Amino acid sequence: MTIRAERDSETTTDGSPVVRVRIPTPLRVHTAGEAEVEIRGWTVREVLARLARAHEGIGPSILGPDGTRRRFVNIFLADRALRSEEDLDTPVSGGDVIAILPAVAGGAGAKERRLSTLRDEIPEVTPGEARELHRSGALLIDVREPDEVAAGMPVGARHLVRGYLELRIEEHAESFDTPIVLMCAGGVRSLLAADDLRRLGFRDVRSMAGGFGRWKADGLPVEIPATLGASERERYGRHLLIPEVGERGQLALRNGRVLLIGAGGLGSPAALYLAAAGVGTLGIIDDDVVDRSNLQRQILHTDDGVGTPKVDSARERLLALNPDIEVRTYPERLSSANAERLLAGWDVIVDGSDNFATRYLVNDVTVRFGIPNVHGSIYRFEGQVSVFWPGREESPGPCYRCLYPEPPPPELAPSCAEAGVLGVLPGVVGTLEAVETVKLLLGIGELLVGKLLHYDALSSEFRTFRVDRDPACEWCGDAVGTPPELIDYEAFCAVGAA
Amino acid sequence: MTRTGTCVPKVDLRLKDDDRGRLLDWACEAYPREACGLLIGRPRSGGWSVVEVRRARNLEPERTDDRYVLDPAAFLAADRDARSEDLEVVGFWHSHPDSPAVPSETDRQAAWPGYAYVIVSVRRGRPREVRLWTFADDSFQEGSVIP
Repeated sequence: MTIRAERDSETTTDGSPVVRVRIPTPLRVHTAGEAEVEIRGWTVREVLARLARAHEGIGPSILGPDGTRRRFVNIFLADRALRSEEDLDTPVSGGDVIAILPAVAGGAGAKERRLSTLRDEIPEVTPGEARELHRSGALLIDVREPDEVAAGMPVGARHLVRGYLELRIEEHAESFDTPIVLMCAGGVRSLLAADDLRRLGFRDVRSMAGGFGRWKADGLPVEIPATLGASERERYGRHLLIPEVGERGQLALRNGRVLLIGAGGLGSPAALYLAAAGVGTLGIIDDDVVDRSNLQRQILHTDDGVGTPKVDSARERLLALNPDIEVRTYPERLSSANAERLLAGWDVIVDGSDNFATRYLVNDVTVRFGIPNVHGSIYRFEGQVSVFWPGREESPGPCYRCLYPEPPPPELAPSCAEAGVLGVLPGVVGTLEAVETVKLLLGIGELLVGKLLHYDALSSEFRTFRVDRDPACEWCGDAVGTPPELIDYEAFCAVGAA
Repeated sequence: MTRTGTCVPKVDLRLKDDDRGRLLDWACEAYPREACGLLIGRPRSGGWSVVEVRRARNLEPERTDDRYVLDPAAFLAADRDARSEDLEVVGFWHSHPDSPAVPSETDRQAAWPGYAYVIVSVRRGRPREVRLWTFADDSFQEGSVIP
């Protein structure tokens, strides 16, 4: 074995002793392959510093910038391990041997060990097998984070972020025997998630090996899912906390298209709450302009807006509240001539109109289109709310005509302008209409279909009345194939007066 | 720490069946804790030949089920003994109880280039496999263990 003495002037002129330094295999590239070199110095630290200067490249491996020893290095002087920094100041004598040895450490690690155990216990399936299982009824649940799924997820998979998996799985899986395949990006988080579900009691849980990466690599179908952005998560945070809403519900609201008939006393609170709730597209039909007498109850409008079209005033106020939504305005008077055009393509109609002609018209068109008609009306201290929806597939409800086949005589049905109204009352009733609308879009709860909710502000009483569908109704009855053509509603209501 | 990585072609480790059996025995004996030790031998073209395998104490103070710290005194003694026989410490071995014989992140953080790293997998106390790894350019590459 060659021992090469250092020849730089620093180590040969100060009379310090010469020691031998054992160089470990990985550092021999810096000593031209030599396993041992001779270095002068008075202490171990000095020897190491001179070694570092003499053999560029060794220094950073054994000493930090401040001259202290690196973590993964052991230094021995003869048989003595120099463990502390102070130990490095130990004096050396001629012929001493200093050994530099890498610290050898490692280990399986808790994570690897746990995963390995789980792989023994939880069945793993390939992406192809996961797809087949999904086709035959298994839930395919993607537990990745929202920013990960934004770039794509398997077609048909449901997104349930791992942090909420245990809390929300029962909204998706009907029983503990529901077959579930969990997936993530690479197959690790899904394995841990599968373990969580197993502990919860689910008996048929599998993990998709290789995750979404392998799903894509295998050429299986991918879709870009609709997800909420960061600012939406912040804005709708209180909705996202509710299991019945969550991200899925909030996306349903975002996709929702709701047309408000009237931007007056009922339309104002309804529109404001629907905008605040994040209903993505709101339409407003109103041909009126803001009058100062409206401001006692029509909270969409402000004193500055007196004289401007109500739809413009409403649009400005709603976008100020929630700039992420779309507000479409129709400064028209709803009539038989334009009703079908204006009411087509909406998910829900919120009727906040103040006259019977419009109510019958809205009813007849919504019956024809099969869409829900959220109805509200007020009189002085009383209000009523219902959802007319004969087009509902499961248990169809009555229409407005089932309840009121004919309009009352005009002298018994005065408008607010004629009879007056407590300003707060439309706030209550319009807000109840907004609640029903949100429930409709989310598909949750018991709707006021077949029920009329009556509110008496003076007696502080809410009462619910049952409203049965009339099988003989001329518009939605059993014998009606296609509902009749629209009529002249002004004349119809005037006839009612006759 | 700067570790000068060199491009390491796929290498092999010649390990006699008896020595391979010893590693598996030691790993099973230590189960469920991790065992570790040294490989003494000589480099040769394309890898190393192991002449002697040694077991060392695992000085990891707490998590001996999933970590090891090889006793440096055993390393020093092995280094000295190897030199006296004109051999050297060519690498190390350690066990992975209930885990595959694949380097973990913990292994990566403490690895050095130029050595043979043998990992012995034990599952439920029974021997599973012995695999060779080398470290270069901040990652492990697998080699072959040959008799």
